[in-house]
Amino acid sequence: MRILTRVSAVVVAFLSLNAGGASAQSANINATATVFQAITVTGARDLAFGNVFPGVAKTVVVSDATSGRFDLTGQSSGNVNVSFTLPTNLTSGANNLPIGTWTGCTNATNTTTGCTSFTPSAGATASAFSGAGALFVWVGGTVSPAANQAAGAYTGIVTLTAAYF
Amino acid sequence: MRRCAFLLLPALLTAAPLAGQSTVTGIRDLAFGVVIRGVQTTVAPSDPVKSGRFYVRHRLNRQVRLQFTLPTQLARVGGGGNLPITFPNNSAIARGTAGSSVPVTFNPNVAQTFNLVTSADFFVNLGGRVSPAANQATGNYRGTVTLTVTFF
Repeated sequence: MRILTRVSAVVVAFLSLNAGGASAQSANINATATVFQAITVTGARDLAFGNVFPGVAKTVVVSDATSGRFDLTGQSSGNVNVSFTLPTNLTSGANNLPIGTWTGCTNATNTTTGCTSFTPSAGATASAFSGAGALFVWVGGTVSPAANQAAGAYTGIVTLTAAYF
Repeated sequence: MRRCAFLLLPALLTAAPLAGQSTVTGIRDLAFGVVIRGVQTTVAPSDPVKSGRFYVRHRLNRQVRLQFTLPTQLARVGGGGNLPITFPNNSAIARGTAGSSVPVTFNPNVAQTFNLVTSADFFVNLGGRVSPAANQATGNYRGTVTLTVTFF
Protein backbone atom coordinates (compact mmCIF):
# COMPACT_ATOMS: atom_id res chain seq x y z
CA MET A 1 0.00 0.00 0.00
CA ARG A 2 2.86 2.32 0.74
CA ILE A 3 4.42 1.63 -2.62
CA LEU A 4 1.19 2.36 -4.43
CA THR A 5 0.97 5.75 -2.81
CA ARG A 6 4.44 6.75 -4.00
CA VAL A 7 3.79 5.71 -7.57
CA SER A 8 0.54 7.63 -7.68
CA ALA A 9 2.25 10.77 -6.45
CA VAL A 10 4.83 10.57 -9.21
CA VAL A 11 2.17 10.14 -11.87
CA VAL A 12 0.10 13.02 -10.57
CA ALA A 13 3.13 15.28 -10.63
CA PHE A 14 3.95 14.27 -14.23
CA LEU A 15 0.42 14.92 -15.47
CA SER A 16 0.34 18.28 -13.75
CA LEU A 17 3.53 19.41 -15.41
CA ASN A 18 2.34 18.28 -18.79
CA ALA A 19 -1.01 20.02 -18.53
CA GLY A 20 -0.03 23.31 -16.94
CA GLY A 21 3.65 23.82 -17.83
CA ALA A 22 5.10 25.45 -20.92
CA SER A 23 7.81 24.12 -23.19
CA ALA A 24 9.86 26.04 -25.74
CA GLN A 25 11.55 25.17 -29.00
CA SER A 26 13.64 27.20 -31.42
CA ALA A 27 14.34 27.00 -35.13
CA ASN A 28 16.66 28.95 -37.39
CA ILE A 29 16.64 30.27 -40.93
CA ASN A 30 19.27 32.33 -42.72
CA ALA A 31 18.90 35.87 -43.95
CA THR A 32 20.99 36.32 -47.08
CA ALA A 33 21.82 39.08 -49.56
CA THR A 34 24.27 39.58 -52.38
CA VAL A 35 25.59 43.10 -52.81
CA PHE A 36 26.38 44.20 -56.36
CA GLN A 37 27.69 47.49 -57.60
CA ALA A 38 25.20 49.71 -59.39
CA ILE A 39 24.75 49.43 -63.14
CA THR A 40 25.66 52.41 -65.27
CA VAL A 41 24.37 52.85 -68.81
CA THR A 42 25.82 55.39 -71.20
CA GLY A 43 24.47 56.18 -74.62
CA ALA A 44 27.83 56.09 -76.37
CA ARG A 45 26.82 56.56 -80.01
CA ASP A 46 23.64 57.55 -81.81
CA LEU A 47 21.99 55.30 -84.38
CA ALA A 48 22.41 57.52 -87.43
CA PHE A 49 20.82 56.76 -90.82
CA GLY A 50 22.30 59.79 -92.53
CA ASN A 51 20.59 60.92 -95.69
CA VAL A 52 17.61 58.86 -96.78
CA PHE A 53 15.38 59.36 -99.80
CA PRO A 54 11.61 59.22 -100.29
CA GLY A 55 10.45 55.73 -101.15
CA VAL A 56 13.81 54.11 -100.38
CA ALA A 57 14.18 52.12 -97.16
CA LYS A 58 17.55 52.28 -95.47
CA THR A 59 19.04 49.81 -92.99
CA VAL A 60 21.87 50.27 -90.52
CA VAL A 61 23.27 46.97 -89.22
CA VAL A 62 24.98 46.61 -85.87
CA SER A 63 28.44 46.31 -87.38
CA ASP A 64 28.08 49.63 -89.22
CA ALA A 65 30.03 52.60 -87.94
CA THR A 66 26.73 54.45 -87.53
CA SER A 67 24.91 51.82 -85.46
CA GLY A 68 23.79 52.87 -82.00
CA ARG A 69 25.89 51.79 -79.06
CA PHE A 70 25.36 51.69 -75.31
CA ASP A 71 28.22 51.13 -72.86
CA LEU A 72 27.32 49.48 -69.55
CA THR A 73 29.26 48.84 -66.37
CA GLY A 74 28.21 46.59 -63.52
CA GLN A 75 29.16 43.76 -61.23
CA SER A 76 31.94 41.53 -62.48
CA SER A 77 30.35 38.54 -64.28
CA GLY A 78 26.89 39.63 -63.08
CA ASN A 79 23.87 38.46 -65.04
CA VAL A 80 21.86 41.29 -66.50
CA ASN A 81 18.64 41.68 -68.46
CA VAL A 82 18.68 44.30 -71.22
CA SER A 83 15.44 45.70 -72.61
CA PHE A 84 14.54 48.56 -74.92
CA THR A 85 11.91 51.21 -75.37
CA LEU A 86 11.83 51.77 -79.09
CA PRO A 87 10.11 54.36 -81.26
CA THR A 88 7.86 53.31 -84.12
CA ASN A 89 8.49 56.60 -85.90
CA LEU A 90 11.16 59.24 -86.05
CA THR A 91 9.61 62.66 -86.05
CA SER A 92 10.25 66.01 -87.65
CA GLY A 93 7.66 68.41 -86.38
CA ALA A 94 4.32 66.84 -87.29
CA ASN A 95 5.89 64.46 -89.81
CA ASN A 96 6.66 60.82 -89.06
CA LEU A 97 9.29 58.54 -90.54
CA PRO A 98 8.56 54.86 -89.78
CA ILE A 99 11.37 52.91 -88.15
CA GLY A 100 11.48 49.21 -87.34
CA THR A 101 13.13 45.85 -88.00
CA TRP A 102 15.35 46.40 -85.01
CA THR A 103 18.55 44.40 -84.62
CA GLY A 104 20.86 44.16 -81.64
CA CYS A 105 24.11 42.62 -80.50
CA THR A 106 25.94 42.38 -77.16
CA ASN A 107 29.55 41.77 -76.32
CA ALA A 108 31.77 41.93 -73.26
CA THR A 109 34.38 43.80 -75.28
CA ASN A 110 33.98 46.86 -77.48
CA THR A 111 33.75 45.11 -80.83
CA THR A 112 30.88 43.66 -82.83
CA THR A 113 33.11 40.82 -83.97
CA GLY A 114 31.76 37.72 -82.30
CA CYS A 115 28.98 39.61 -80.58
CA THR A 116 25.73 37.87 -79.59
CA SER A 117 22.75 38.86 -81.72
CA PHE A 118 19.30 39.52 -80.31
CA THR A 119 16.09 41.28 -81.28
CA PRO A 120 15.65 44.48 -79.25
CA SER A 121 11.91 44.61 -79.89
CA ALA A 122 11.37 41.07 -78.57
CA GLY A 123 11.55 41.90 -74.86
CA ALA A 124 14.30 41.47 -72.30
CA THR A 125 17.53 39.84 -73.38
CA ALA A 126 19.72 38.00 -70.90
CA SER A 127 23.39 38.87 -70.94
CA ALA A 128 26.29 39.18 -68.52
CA PHE A 129 29.00 41.63 -67.62
CA SER A 130 32.59 40.70 -68.34
CA GLY A 131 35.00 39.85 -65.58
CA ALA A 132 35.98 43.51 -65.67
CA GLY A 133 32.32 44.54 -65.31
CA ALA A 134 31.80 45.78 -68.89
CA LEU A 135 29.06 45.18 -71.44
CA PHE A 136 28.54 46.75 -74.86
CA VAL A 137 25.25 46.78 -76.74
CA TRP A 138 24.75 47.76 -80.37
CA VAL A 139 21.46 48.50 -82.06
CA GLY A 140 20.50 48.80 -85.71
CA GLY A 141 17.26 49.27 -87.60
CA THR A 142 15.51 50.22 -90.80
CA VAL A 143 13.75 53.44 -91.72
CA SER A 144 11.11 53.34 -94.46
CA PRO A 145 10.41 56.79 -95.95
CA ALA A 146 7.18 57.08 -97.89
CA ALA A 147 7.29 58.11 -101.52
CA ASN A 148 5.98 61.51 -100.48
CA GLN A 149 8.02 61.73 -97.27
CA ALA A 150 8.48 65.34 -96.23
CA ALA A 151 12.09 66.49 -96.22
CA GLY A 152 13.63 67.34 -92.86
CA ALA A 153 15.72 66.12 -89.93
CA TYR A 154 13.95 63.27 -88.10
CA THR A 155 14.82 62.12 -84.61
CA GLY A 156 13.62 59.64 -82.04
CA ILE A 157 14.75 58.24 -78.72
CA VAL A 158 15.95 54.71 -78.04
CA THR A 159 16.07 53.82 -74.35
CA LEU A 160 17.96 50.87 -72.90
CA THR A 161 17.08 49.57 -69.45
CA ALA A 162 19.31 47.11 -67.62
CA ALA A 163 18.61 45.14 -64.46
CA TYR A 164 20.36 42.31 -62.65
CA PHE A 165 18.63 38.98 -62.47
CA MET B 1 -0.70 -3.80 -6.07
CA ARG B 2 -0.20 -5.30 -9.50
CA ARG B 3 -3.65 -4.16 -10.53
CA CYS B 4 -2.95 -0.53 -9.60
CA ALA B 5 0.30 -0.48 -11.53
CA PHE B 6 -1.49 -1.53 -14.70
CA LEU B 7 -4.06 1.16 -14.26
CA LEU B 8 -1.39 3.85 -14.03
CA LEU B 9 0.62 2.75 -17.05
CA PRO B 10 -1.86 3.91 -19.73
CA ALA B 11 -1.81 7.42 -18.30
CA LEU B 12 1.96 7.63 -18.74
CA LEU B 13 1.89 6.25 -22.27
CA THR B 14 -0.80 8.61 -23.50
CA ALA B 15 0.77 11.71 -21.98
CA ALA B 16 4.16 11.37 -23.65
CA PRO B 17 3.14 11.72 -27.35
CA LEU B 18 1.26 14.97 -26.67
CA ALA B 19 4.50 16.78 -25.90
CA GLY B 20 5.92 15.61 -29.25
CA GLN B 21 3.11 17.22 -31.22
CA SER B 22 4.45 20.70 -30.66
CA THR B 23 7.13 21.79 -33.06
CA VAL B 24 8.72 24.73 -34.87
CA THR B 25 10.67 24.32 -38.10
CA GLY B 26 12.53 26.75 -40.32
CA ILE B 27 11.47 25.97 -43.88
CA ARG B 28 12.68 28.89 -46.04
CA ASP B 29 15.48 31.46 -45.79
CA LEU B 30 14.84 35.18 -46.00
CA ALA B 31 16.64 35.77 -49.29
CA PHE B 32 17.07 39.32 -50.57
CA GLY B 33 18.92 38.18 -53.67
CA VAL B 34 20.90 40.84 -55.49
CA VAL B 35 20.87 44.25 -53.84
CA ILE B 36 22.63 47.35 -55.11
CA ARG B 37 25.12 49.46 -53.24
CA GLY B 38 23.41 52.50 -51.76
CA VAL B 39 19.92 51.19 -52.52
CA GLN B 40 17.67 50.08 -49.67
CA THR B 41 15.86 46.84 -50.49
CA THR B 42 12.77 45.49 -48.75
CA VAL B 43 11.28 42.03 -48.89
CA ALA B 44 7.61 41.89 -47.89
CA PRO B 45 6.45 39.03 -45.66
CA SER B 46 3.90 38.19 -48.35
CA ASP B 47 6.65 37.60 -50.91
CA PRO B 48 6.17 33.96 -51.91
CA VAL B 49 9.80 33.41 -52.85
CA LYS B 50 12.04 35.76 -50.88
CA SER B 51 10.34 35.93 -47.48
CA GLY B 52 11.61 33.70 -44.69
CA ARG B 53 9.23 31.03 -43.43
CA PHE B 54 8.70 28.93 -40.31
CA TYR B 55 6.16 26.23 -39.56
CA VAL B 56 4.68 25.92 -36.08
CA ARG B 57 2.44 23.16 -34.78
CA HIS B 58 0.82 22.87 -31.36
CA ARG B 59 -2.70 22.03 -30.24
CA LEU B 60 -6.05 23.58 -30.98
CA ASN B 61 -7.40 25.94 -28.31
CA ARG B 62 -3.95 26.36 -26.77
CA GLN B 63 -1.54 29.28 -26.88
CA VAL B 64 1.87 29.83 -28.39
CA ARG B 65 4.29 32.67 -27.77
CA LEU B 66 6.56 33.70 -30.64
CA GLN B 67 9.85 35.44 -29.96
CA PHE B 68 12.26 36.24 -32.77
CA THR B 69 15.96 36.77 -32.28
CA LEU B 70 16.78 39.09 -35.15
CA PRO B 71 20.15 40.18 -36.48
CA THR B 72 20.95 43.86 -36.87
CA GLN B 73 23.62 43.12 -39.47
CA LEU B 74 24.40 40.44 -41.99
CA ALA B 75 28.06 39.48 -42.09
CA ARG B 76 29.97 39.33 -45.35
CA VAL B 77 30.91 35.75 -46.17
CA GLY B 78 34.68 35.60 -45.97
CA GLY B 79 34.83 38.75 -43.87
CA GLY B 80 35.22 42.34 -44.86
CA GLY B 81 32.07 44.07 -43.72
CA ASN B 82 28.54 44.02 -42.38
CA LEU B 83 25.25 44.82 -44.05
CA PRO B 84 22.64 46.55 -41.86
CA ILE B 85 19.28 44.79 -41.69
CA THR B 86 16.06 45.90 -40.04
CA PHE B 87 12.63 44.42 -39.59
CA PRO B 88 9.80 46.92 -39.93
CA ASN B 89 6.82 46.66 -37.58
CA ASN B 90 4.67 44.96 -40.21
CA SER B 91 7.22 42.49 -41.51
CA ALA B 92 5.80 39.27 -40.06
CA ILE B 93 2.62 37.41 -40.92
CA ALA B 94 1.15 34.37 -39.19
CA ARG B 95 -1.45 32.33 -41.00
CA GLY B 96 -3.14 29.12 -39.92
CA THR B 97 -3.39 26.22 -42.30
CA ALA B 98 -7.18 26.01 -42.01
CA GLY B 99 -9.05 27.62 -44.88
CA SER B 100 -10.94 29.86 -42.49
CA SER B 101 -7.78 31.19 -40.83
CA VAL B 102 -7.23 34.91 -41.08
CA PRO B 103 -3.63 36.11 -41.59
CA VAL B 104 -2.29 38.24 -38.76
CA THR B 105 0.39 40.82 -39.47
CA PHE B 106 2.61 41.56 -36.51
CA ASN B 107 5.83 43.18 -35.37
CA PRO B 108 8.62 40.59 -35.21
CA ASN B 109 10.63 42.83 -32.88
CA VAL B 110 8.09 42.19 -30.11
CA ALA B 111 7.04 38.85 -28.65
CA GLN B 112 3.55 37.79 -29.68
CA THR B 113 1.13 35.33 -28.15
CA PHE B 114 -1.49 33.64 -30.29
CA ASN B 115 -4.52 31.58 -29.40
CA LEU B 116 -4.88 28.64 -31.75
CA VAL B 117 -8.57 28.88 -32.48
CA THR B 118 -9.07 27.68 -36.03
CA SER B 119 -5.80 25.85 -36.71
CA ALA B 120 -3.46 23.76 -34.61
CA ASP B 121 -0.63 24.61 -37.00
CA PHE B 122 0.39 27.71 -38.90
CA PHE B 123 3.09 29.37 -40.96
CA VAL B 124 5.03 32.47 -40.01
CA ASN B 125 6.44 34.54 -42.87
CA LEU B 126 9.16 37.09 -42.24
CA GLY B 127 10.22 40.03 -44.39
CA GLY B 128 12.91 42.60 -43.78
CA ARG B 129 14.98 45.46 -45.13
CA VAL B 130 18.67 45.73 -45.92
CA SER B 131 20.43 49.06 -46.35
CA PRO B 132 23.73 48.73 -48.20
CA ALA B 133 26.02 51.73 -47.95
CA ALA B 134 27.16 53.48 -51.11
CA ASN B 135 30.60 51.96 -50.56
CA GLN B 136 29.35 48.60 -49.30
CA ALA B 137 31.77 45.81 -50.13
CA THR B 138 30.29 43.62 -52.85
CA GLY B 139 29.75 39.96 -52.06
CA ASN B 140 27.50 37.57 -50.22
CA TYR B 141 26.14 38.38 -46.77
CA ARG B 142 24.50 36.09 -44.26
CA GLY B 143 22.90 36.18 -40.83
CA THR B 144 20.77 33.95 -38.63
CA VAL B 145 17.14 34.47 -37.66
CA THR B 146 15.87 32.42 -34.73
CA LEU B 147 12.25 31.87 -33.83
CA THR B 148 11.64 30.60 -30.32
CA VAL B 149 8.16 29.28 -29.66
CA THR B 150 6.84 28.68 -26.21
CA PHE B 151 3.97 26.20 -26.13
CA PHE B 152 1.35 26.63 -23.41
